[in-house]
Amino acid sequence: MLENIKKEFSTRTLVLIPIAIAINIAIGELVVRLKLPVYLDSIGTVLVGALAGPWAGALTGALANLIWGLFNPYAAAFFYVAAVIGLLAGLAGKRGAFEKESPRWLSALVGAVFVFSLTMFILAFTNATTDDTGFTTYPSMADLFSNYAVIFVVAILIGAAIGYFLLQRGGYAGIWGLVTGVVAAIISAPTAAYVFGGVTGSGTDLLVAAFRASGGGILASVMAQGAVSDPFDKMLSFMVVWLILRSLPARFKAR
Amino acid sequence: MNAFSMYVARESGLHKLHPLTKGSLTLLLLVAGLFLPGNWTSYFLVLFLILPLAYWGKIFHNFIRIVWGISLPFILSVVIIQSLFWGKGTPIFEFWIIAPKQEGALFALVSVGRIILVMSGFILFAMTTRPDTLMISLKQVGVPSSLAYIIVTTLQIIPRFQSKAFTILDAQRSRGLETEGNIFRRARAVVPIILPLVLSSLVEVEERAIAIEARGFNSKKEETSLIEIPDTNAQKIFRRILIILIPTIILFRVLWQLFK
Repeated sequence: MLENIKKEFSTRTLVLIPIAIAINIAIGELVVRLKLPVYLDSIGTVLVGALAGPWAGALTGALANLIWGLFNPYAAAFFYVAAVIGLLAGLAGKRGAFEKESPRWLSALVGAVFVFSLTMFILAFTNATTDDTGFTTYPSMADLFSNYAVIFVVAILIGAAIGYFLLQRGGYAGIWGLVTGVVAAIISAPTAAYVFGGVTGSGTDLLVAAFRASGGGILASVMAQGAVSDPFDKMLSFMVVWLILRSLPARFKAR
Repeated sequence: MNAFSMYVARESGLHKLHPLTKGSLTLLLLVAGLFLPGNWTSYFLVLFLILPLAYWGKIFHNFIRIVWGISLPFILSVVIIQSLFWGKGTPIFEFWIIAPKQEGALFALVSVGRIILVMSGFILFAMTTRPDTLMISLKQVGVPSSLAYIIVTTLQIIPRFQSKAFTILDAQRSRGLETEGNIFRRARAVVPIILPLVLSSLVEVEERAIAIEARGFNSKKEETSLIEIPDTNAQKIFRRILIILIPTIILFRVLWQLFK
């Protein structure tokens, strides 16, 4: 095990890590400049995970956020989340998620399942009722399906379209990205709720407000906000890395 | 050297402290503010420790301005969201659908204290510590030099990458790439900018790796440093006390939680 970790940190990896962190920050700022509703600030981390391995990916993520923290302390508080993202990207790389091409129907299926569960999640939240004692009841799945059948069908179609046209042949990378996003949302919520009072200081706070208004607790609302914004963001990041690795010359990947 | 850092050069006692002393102090402040019981601990620490330290470091006005600028969006968000959308509670006043709750306002105030503590603690450290001296002192206490290399290099190349990204953005624009307009149009601009940025940077990896290996990067000999970092025995003892206090506070909180 120790031998394997050592092998991951070759001179090339050590050189790659600062470049990856700079890529994280440069693209993160670019996206803000283009006013897009995503972060895309972990592309470099995912890239190191994919090229060098899980431990190098984890180190890249943690350092990226800690160094960014010299300017933006908010990022530093979530260094462990970034580390887990790099770790999962590395595991995905080991399983070949960034090399294999998936059939397009699989990408469509991934997209459909994703948008479907997202819709169910949001509807469950917005239809929750809180009684006088402060106890929150969530609607049953059957009620949701019968009341919002049309919305669910539309969601599945939109999801399948996203998968088919956006993910294209990167379905495996997309799945790993989605899973990573869900994990990131869950593990970042406690810090966001306890240290920062449940807010991110950015546009996604509107989501937190909406979930709070529909009766969610602080931790649950933060987690829900993350579950809406993170998986999509990480799916895109993994996709971009998949695209990058496909455009790289083979001799670069060989090492 | 145009490095990515917040460091403000001043002649002050705080600046002259050993980087690790400031580092352990910052860590202790954060741990104390977040782990000690009581709602107002973080306000207390900011008022009676962090602000005087900033004054001692002769960065008071800059410091207040930066902390305020960074914390304000969080403060506004947390106050608005947690007081207005608290759910069940005692309303402070009611006006149409606006009814802030006392419990929510209290939670918001406590959170504001924590937010200001975390932001000001980090920023005080960043403003008074040169990143390169921090790295050298970390190396001296046994952090691998490869880790130090990563951090120093990152701080140096970030500004270059930022300008590189915007150069590519301008170049693609001049070729007719649309970067304004509706969201789909803007989203389509992302890949033509990211791909050249990442691919051209990866080409650098090889050159840099050869360059640092040629300069003895993998040498096992003990390294010496050009910059000497002044350290005193008093500071060494002080650091030791700080480092013992950190786990003590966490342990205290765990016990407090168990036997309350």
